[in-house]
Parts: sequence; C-alpha cells; structure tokens
Amino acid sequence: MSSSEPVVNVENLTYTYGRGAEAVHGLNLKVQPGRCYGLFGRNGAGKTTTIKCLLNLLRPQKGSVRVFGLDAVKDETAVKSRLGYVPDQVAFYPWMSVQETFDYLASFRDHWNKEIERGLLSRFQLDASRKTAVLSKGQRTQVALIAAICPEPDLLLLDEPTSGLDPIVRREFIETVIGAYQDGNPGNRTILVSTHLITEFEGLIDEFTIMDGGRSVLTLEADAARDRYQKIRVRFTDAIPELNLEAALRVQRRGRELELVVNGGGPELLARIQQHDPESLTTEALTLEEIFVNALKVQAV
Amino acid sequence: MYLQINFKSGMPVYLQVVDQIKAAAASGVLKAGDPLPCIRPLAEELRVNRNTIAKAYSELENMGVIETQQGRGCFLKGNNSPLKKDVRRKMLIEEIDQAIVQAHHLQVGREEFIELVQERFDVLDQKRRSSVAGKEEES
Repeated sequence: MSSSEPVVNVENLTYTYGRGAEAVHGLNLKVQPGRCYGLFGRNGAGKTTTIKCLLNLLRPQKGSVRVFGLDAVKDETAVKSRLGYVPDQVAFYPWMSVQETFDYLASFRDHWNKEIERGLLSRFQLDASRKTAVLSKGQRTQVALIAAICPEPDLLLLDEPTSGLDPIVRREFIETVIGAYQDGNPGNRTILVSTHLITEFEGLIDEFTIMDGGRSVLTLEADAARDRYQKIRVRFTDAIPELNLEAALRVQRRGRELELVVNGGGPELLARIQQHDPESLTTEALTLEEIFVNALKVQAV
Repeated sequence: MYLQINFKSGMPVYLQVVDQIKAAAASGVLKAGDPLPCIRPLAEELRVNRNTIAKAYSELENMGVIETQQGRGCFLKGNNSPLKKDVRRKMLIEEIDQAIVQAHHLQVGREEFIELVQERFDVLDQKRRSSVAGKEEES
C-alpha cells in the first residue's frame, strides 16, 4: 500500500433500511494514514450505518467501501485483521470473565500485546477475574477499548464510544486513545471516530465530516475550520451603522451590539466594520461543536 | 511550565504549543539544557492528538530552539540560532509588520506602539530576573 493511499475510502455509499428509509446517501469519505478523523452528526445522521458498512456488517447497495485499499465485502477477513472496533453498544459473553474474554478475542488475532493489556487493566483498575455480566457500562467500554487496542491495529474504529459514560471514564478513554494507541506507532495509527460529543474530541481531531440525513454537509481540516469560522462581536458608540453583512452566516443585533458568524471572508468584513470606529471589537474562532451547530442550522434554512 | 490550548484563538494547535514554548524560553521559565515534557504525557494531559505535539517539537527543532537527544527526550538549546542574522531579521520583520497592521486597526499610533514595545521588553526582563531569583532560591 502506497503511503498516499487512504486507509478508508468510501465512494458514493448508499444504504437503505427496509422501505425507503434511507440511512446513507451518496457519501464520500477519505481518511489518510495516521490521521484522526471525526464523523460528526446527530442521532440518525447515518454515522453508525457508515461504520457498519466498513465492517461488512451491512452491505452497501451502491458505491464502494475500501479499507487499506481492500474491498470491505470481498476481503472482509484481511480488513478486519488490521482494525480494532469499539461499538456504541458493547456486548460480551456474560459467562466469561474479563480475562477469558481477552484470551478468547486474542485467539482470533495474529498479534496481541499482553503488556498493553496488563497496563490498561491496572490503569482502569479492572479486576480481570470478574464476569463481564457484572461490569458497569463504563467498565464494559473500557474492556472493549483494551480489546480493540491490544492487537495494535492500523485502524481504530470508534462508534459513539463515550456516549452515556461518566466524565472520568470519558476522559480516561480519550487519554488512552492518545497514549496507549497513538503513541505505539506514531504517524501510522489511524482513528475514525463517530460522535456527537464533539467537544471532548476537539484536540484529537485532524479532519472531520459533518453528516446530516445520510449526506455529507461539510468536510474540513480542524485547524482550517477554526480559522474560517469566526465569531465577531462589535459594539458601536451609537446605533449600528449601515453595513454590508452578506458575507455573514448569522447576524444578531442587540441594541448597539452586533454579533456575526462568518465562514471565511472575516478579514474583509472586519475592515469594513473598522471604518465605523466601533467602541469595541472582538473575534474568536468557533469550536468544532459550534461549527457543527452552525453547519446544521444553515442546512435547515 | 504549563501549556494551555485555546481552541477559540483560531490559531493551529501545534503553533500554540510552539509559541508557548518559545515564550517560556524567552522569559527564562525554560533555560538552556532544561528538558521538555515528553510527547506522550503532554499529549495525554492536553488531550490533543499525539502527532500535534510531535509536529510542534519538530518545528521547534527546525528553528533551533530545542534539540532531541536520542533516547533521552527533548531539551532546550542555548540561545544560538543556526540561522544567519539577516534571515532572523527577516523573520522578525514579518511579525513586526503584522503587529503594525494590527495596531493600525486598533487605532494605536506609532509613538504609542514604540512605547508599548519598550514596556513589553521591560516586563519580559522583569520576568526573566524573577525566574532566575526563583531558581536560585530553589537550589
């Protein structure tokens, strides 16, 4: 596989459940090696369906899904041997202990890093002799994360991994992905994470796609997005003057105050505002979560 | 040294790390030979992508601010940039030009701007002196 070939390459993916209810429509997605890619969307946006197509749990009706340059349907085993997956609903055989679960899962793998297993068990303070049936939701997710990382896969697929978990477990989850997973082979460990809890993944995300109604609404690099999407707050000494605000995504007026959200074109707009000698003027970047909200609002209009 | 990432600044995350380490070096918080935090724990602590920190460190290394010692980690280098004087001046001029443009938009005139620069030099000197004093007390 050449270094420029994407780890995940989804082209024109369409999947429909039952009668007419379309979950994903014409989706394109490219994830380059070593990157952390965010798939953002509301519940029902088609994130899980997309990930299930990568795993051949669902078969696309249209389009192609390639992972590591291989066909996700035809080369299912080869693809799966190189990835780790943490689903949104974690389930294990309830009669197995945590250790038995690891040993069972390791038996399907060419490689299993025992040291990572031990390290993370102690970090999460998990008792490996306990039956998986008695674990809390947070502990089940921790076990699933350990199981996904120990084979040291080239691709880690995380589907809403932190939904419904307490803040401490969520924090540890993300630190583990950065530390135990990413640090093992820097530059080559690829992550695809679907979530609507965008804030906690903000620092991890290199690039993202916002999905809505099964379609891609916006794909951008995280740094470029925060550079383009800006919030401008202006207060004028008197009334708000006549201004050309066409470039703004959103305009809010409160007395002498004006709040604008721009997507590119910020500097030009700022220059025009400056000409009116505002009393105060501040700009800040939108966070990825705010960009998400704005992207979907514009979509709704 | 404490690093803090602000996603609302609109500045790329790796550049925020670069700038903060350069500032720590200029103000004497970090001295030549001091170790920098290792990539993995720093990335975990800031909860940012490991590669973002690695990118910041390799940028700092290219600029001659830090050096990597195989197996031992990264250390702050002495204040001798490998770049020629005119290159260093040119890099600084770009930054000054940006600040001047910003000053114009914020209605800060030439005199006031130069006064401010003097003031900031004094502040930084003060910081450097107090961090020297602090270190001597420690030892």
